[in-house]
Amino acid sequence: MSSTTAPSGLARARKGLAPGGPGGGSPNPGNQNRKSRLSAQTSRTFFWLLLPSVILLVLIHGYPLFQAGIQATHNGNLIQTGDFVGIENFQGVLASPAFWKAAQFTLLFTIVGVFGSWAVGLGLALLLRTKIPAGGTFKVLLLLPWVVPIVVSSTAWNWLVATPDSLIPSLFRNLGLGTPLFLADPTLAATTVMIFKVWVSFPFMMMMISAALASVDNTVYEAASMDGATRWQQFSQITLPLIARSTYISWILMTIFCVNDFPTIYLLTGGGPVDATTSLVVLAYRTVFQDFATGPGVAIAFLMTMTLVVISVLLYRQIRKSSVE
Amino acid sequence: MSAVVHAHPESGPVLGVAGPAKNKRVLSEAGHRGQWWRFIAILIITAVVLVPIMVTVVLAFTPGPNSTATGLTFENLSNVFSKTLAATWLQNSLITTLATVVVSVAVAAPAGYVLSRGRSKAVSGYSLLLFVMQSLPVITSVVPLFILFAAMGLVDNLMGLTIIYVGSTMTVATWMMAAYFDSIPISLEEASWIDGCSVFGSFTKVVLRNSLPGILSTAIFAFLLAWNDYLVAIVFLRSNEIFTLPMGVQSFFQQNNTDWSGVMALAVIMMLPPVIVFATLNKYFSVGGIGGSLAGR
Repeated sequence: MSSTTAPSGLARARKGLAPGGPGGGSPNPGNQNRKSRLSAQTSRTFFWLLLPSVILLVLIHGYPLFQAGIQATHNGNLIQTGDFVGIENFQGVLASPAFWKAAQFTLLFTIVGVFGSWAVGLGLALLLRTKIPAGGTFKVLLLLPWVVPIVVSSTAWNWLVATPDSLIPSLFRNLGLGTPLFLADPTLAATTVMIFKVWVSFPFMMMMISAALASVDNTVYEAASMDGATRWQQFSQITLPLIARSTYISWILMTIFCVNDFPTIYLLTGGGPVDATTSLVVLAYRTVFQDFATGPGVAIAFLMTMTLVVISVLLYRQIRKSSVE
Repeated sequence: MSAVVHAHPESGPVLGVAGPAKNKRVLSEAGHRGQWWRFIAILIITAVVLVPIMVTVVLAFTPGPNSTATGLTFENLSNVFSKTLAATWLQNSLITTLATVVVSVAVAAPAGYVLSRGRSKAVSGYSLLLFVMQSLPVITSVVPLFILFAAMGLVDNLMGLTIIYVGSTMTVATWMMAAYFDSIPISLEEASWIDGCSVFGSFTKVVLRNSLPGILSTAIFAFLLAWNDYLVAIVFLRSNEIFTLPMGVQSFFQQNNTDWSGVMALAVIMMLPPVIVFATLNKYFSVGGIGGSLAGR
């Protein structure tokens, strides 16, 4: 049995994880046979294979989370744990306007980051799907904003917009549009940070959507246009449903990326001006490492954590459910 | 035409080959003009999108205001290497990143195998746990880890940094490996079991041997995370000679923020390795791999 299946199986395996090829999860043939092999020896092997991962998870994620719980309920600093204060830190944080301002900015930043990068990524993925001379080259070049380190790109953006004499403000001035202070005006700074985030993230979306589109057969569209479907109908009736699943997943991931994002904001504006671009992560970082108020800082991080745990468990269920369908 | 399509629902790849040929005939009539319009559109978009990157490269190789050189020059690069600890930073970044990549794969591959083959409650519970941990803000664990590592002498230490990087890559890396292993048919392993191979033996000899693309994707993911990280580095690194490149670039930028030639030269040094990795291993660079691994499971 195995001698005949092995070569074709190998060929399938070698083809491997083509970027965006239909994800794994294919039903495994020989399920019955495997079950009988799941002996005590197998579970012992599984245990040893999993052990390093479990140790790391406990050390790097479990223990700190536990400690964070302790710190959030104490009024300590980076050296001492301090006294137990119960939920005082949380009350303090929830009562502070700075927290709600940061929460508001985080929400806006996340919404613009997720849907902005999705819209741009979708547009480009659809454009690149059509036949274009040197299309492959463009596809690679457009991924660069995602590949280049944030430290580098934020420096470049700084050079472009930071001072009134930078390239882009000068350009505006020469066009008679005044001299916008991209990083000094609160509203403009917030806008700039969000555009920067979209610039960094759209290649991720483009890649996710391109991958989903790649598995779609062109003939589906040919058949649709023969049946008289308009461009818009093809888009909304065929394209969107076909990429719905990866769209869904990419939204989830991008939401997590945006809420947890630190360098994109911190390196461009440092959270300023007048805290206009202070997100929750930036606020937590500053509270702990600049104000040395460990308790409230960890409380902020903890509130974010709890929100994200709830969201991610719910979404995980949703993904599982949709992958069964 | 479509009748033929429906007659062979499984022959996807074959149709994929036939598709473009058919398209060409259609395109030759009206499609050519549209094709060139789209080319111009994408050319403009790409040019605009790449402005910040082009600016970085151009400034890095243009003589600075105090320079006597003309045309393109490597002066800025040699300047940052002689005047700053750029070489040390580069070395620190390379060591940390390579260690992260190796350890991440070494931890994630066996765990991913269990996630892929195991079907018990405990295994799926662990899978959910990884997913939840992956979504937590790094900042939560950074503060307790800082206190723990301070007690262990791992603050301002490349090993401490590496441990945290491995911790933050392992969740997604495990998922990516598991998704790849899912694509390797179990029948291959069964054949080896019949030949008397153990489960561990079939994992190393059969599964791992056929998983190079999956391992490479995972390695690239870990590489980018470790190479680009700023938040962990800013918290855990204190001294100039322990800095990784992101910290080096930032500290140089803050101290000399008018010396754009120097800043950009450092920036080019920093973006070169990821761009090289991307250019050579493009095929395995599945950003979607992260999503794909979630989608598949």
